[in-house]
Amino acid sequence: MNNTLIQGITEEIKQGYQGAFARKWPAWVGGILIAVLALMIFMWSVPWGIAAGYKNWGDWTLYLAGIQSARPDLVPWMHNLSVSNIGIIAGALASALLSRQFAIRRAPGLEYAKGAVGGILMGAGAALAMGCNVGGFYTAAGIFSMGGYAMMLGLGAGAYIGLRYLLWEMEHLPQKTVSRMNTDTGAVRVRDWKKLQPVFGMFIMIAGIAAFYTYSAFDLTKIGGLLFFGLLIGIVMHRSRFCFVRAFREPFMTGDSDMVKAVAVSLMLFGFGAAVIKWNWIQPPEMGVYHPFWIGSLAGGLIFGIGMLLAGGCASSTLWRAAEGHTKLVVALFSFAAANPLTHALINYTGLKTALGSGYFMPEILSWQIALPVFGAVMIAWVLLAGWNERTEKFVIF
Amino acid sequence: MNAIDTDIKADEILDARGLSCPMPMLKTKKALKHLQSGQILEVLGTDPGSKNDIPDFCQKGGNTLLEVEDVEEGYTRYLIQKG
Repeated sequence: MNNTLIQGITEEIKQGYQGAFARKWPAWVGGILIAVLALMIFMWSVPWGIAAGYKNWGDWTLYLAGIQSARPDLVPWMHNLSVSNIGIIAGALASALLSRQFAIRRAPGLEYAKGAVGGILMGAGAALAMGCNVGGFYTAAGIFSMGGYAMMLGLGAGAYIGLRYLLWEMEHLPQKTVSRMNTDTGAVRVRDWKKLQPVFGMFIMIAGIAAFYTYSAFDLTKIGGLLFFGLLIGIVMHRSRFCFVRAFREPFMTGDSDMVKAVAVSLMLFGFGAAVIKWNWIQPPEMGVYHPFWIGSLAGGLIFGIGMLLAGGCASSTLWRAAEGHTKLVVALFSFAAANPLTHALINYTGLKTALGSGYFMPEILSWQIALPVFGAVMIAWVLLAGWNERTEKFVIF
Repeated sequence: MNAIDTDIKADEILDARGLSCPMPMLKTKKALKHLQSGQILEVLGTDPGSKNDIPDFCQKGGNTLLEVEDVEEGYTRYLIQKG
């Protein structure tokens, strides 16, 4: 009796593990979970973003290298969005290990150059738009800042231009591949390492949760919570391979509309949740609406869009892909972090800031009653257009 | 994953090892373009994303994914028959 109970539970755990870390998660499941977690972050402290975390890392790098003289205000483990980014990296790393998918992945030389340039363009674009694909597009549109729509158009146009470049590159710059034919002993090592990966993955998960309790013990529960939410976002993004680049690129590349639908469903859920939070004054309505509409958001989106195609990752998927071991994306992460504060400094220095536009809160202009259906209609139109394109391939350029 | 049937001979081999998303998918699509219907493309890749992308692409694009095999050296082989 006792034995069968234990056997039954062991079997359940095995099946649960298979479902979570062996079978693939549909993109829309990822989308729904991302929306829930983004809403939790919004209620917990601030509207979710990623570029501000990169900026904190870049500020520190530039300060320590002696390029920037001002000491950044917050250390990376005290800056809210830096902490959630660290959580995403840790969560994705744990998830990759638990899925036995972690490996240090080297790439041909040209790929590293594309990672570096892509990162620079993303860092610059995120500075112009005051946010990346998450803060400047996803969160912005979801909390009813007009800049989100301008950035959406920019990202689409940038993805198109970036894909055109990739197609050109395929014809004109043939690449050598990285062949790593291991010896027999190497293959055995690979097998042993694969067996050990989940143990390291569990260890990182436990360390992440322990870190949350440590923050809490020092009366820093609010910051620690962001680490915890980041951890969950990292797992969800890695397992569902949730990717904004894909949502903007695929309609031009294969016509596939799955990721468009996943992002739109996620955004709709997040937007309606954010309306509940803002309209009900759980958080102030004007919170997080400063996205320079429309020149900054549109131009930033365009530059960011080209960059994410070159890098093969946006602000969020660069984090989880770097954690999966893609060294190209590690390069992109560093150049993003360095380029972002430098572009911010340039914008301030040239006095360009006012020319880029200012933050517009849609319900303030249109009222909530009209802003809500407009938001929903844009998302539905995006899904319908992408679905129609999947069948007709009208926008597919390759 | 099924083991590669040694009887199947690929008409073309695409080595995409070391490349990450979207390059393996782009190159696969390009390589399939100049194959004849019924011919077979073998793709070698290391990007975990390809394990979702290539089956999805084959299913939606009317091509047949004959085999997928994880090779011991740490990469994956895909055999795709053009539809």
